[in-house]
Amino acid sequence: MADYREAPLATRPRTLDPNDYFNLSPEKRRADEERAALRANLKRQYQTQLNNPHRKELIEDPALTRWVYARSNPYPHFRPTFKTSLLGFACGVFPLFALYYIFKTDRVR
Amino acid sequence: MAGVGFRKWAQALTKSKGTGISALLSGCRAASGGSKGSLPGSYPTTPEEKAAAAKKYNIRVEDYEPYPDKGEGFGDYPKLPDRSQHERDPWYKWDHPDLRRNWGEPMHWDFDMYIRNRVDTSPSPVDWISMCKQLFGFIGFMLFMFYIGEKFPSYQPVAPKQYPYNNLYLEKGGDPEKQPEEVKNYGI
Repeated sequence: MADYREAPLATRPRTLDPNDYFNLSPEKRRADEERAALRANLKRQYQTQLNNPHRKELIEDPALTRWVYARSNPYPHFRPTFKTSLLGFACGVFPLFALYYIFKTDRVR
Repeated sequence: MAGVGFRKWAQALTKSKGTGISALLSGCRAASGGSKGSLPGSYPTTPEEKAAAAKKYNIRVEDYEPYPDKGEGFGDYPKLPDRSQHERDPWYKWDHPDLRRNWGEPMHWDFDMYIRNRVDTSPSPVDWISMCKQLFGFIGFMLFMFYIGEKFPSYQPVAPKQYPYNNLYLEKGGDPEKQPEEVKNYGI
């Protein structure tokens, strides 16, 4: 198992991760505690809303709203660079002309 | 009179910048539905903007890392580790157990790709080299065998079909008076 190599784009099992054994420090512990505090705060908010007997409506999730908003509005942050314009050409312009050419020649045949 | 009332209502509609039915009716913005500052914004440049964005997304300031500003449309959305929901603890009491996610937790940009029905980044049970060897070994072996099968085909021995009555002399239009030559299709 010493020569375990994880699959590309996959993760390593937690038991084979060297960080869990070697790089432990008080800073890491403090960071974990801060993350747990954030998580607990969110849990508290959710549970209060969930168990509120006077609640009649759905519990709205702001993280979900932000995700949906970010995914559906990329254009204000779009900037034409080399990579983005190349991608745009490859997906938008090139198939147009390629398909036109293919259909035209196929029909003639 | 109804026309005047309709025109005023349409003017109020266009002037109000609110959400929902309350905006349509009253012309002022509703207090519910999240404030303007809670939505994703543009790429943060100063440390104060970074801190504000981290607070907005409920992430630690040290953990917050926006996508690099290459004009790809991410804005200030945080770059979370590319981990599928398969990897999360199945026994922890998540708020949404099927999605293995808590309420308010920042969602990955590709969250809908990483749900449990789709892409799985959890560690593979066998390591990559063995998987490659097994798959390509099998495919290579099958291709090789099919190639040999094409080169050296094997089938039941066949011969041209043998017909009785002197190879069907009469049925093929032979003369009934003339005696046909004897055709022996067998050997004893």
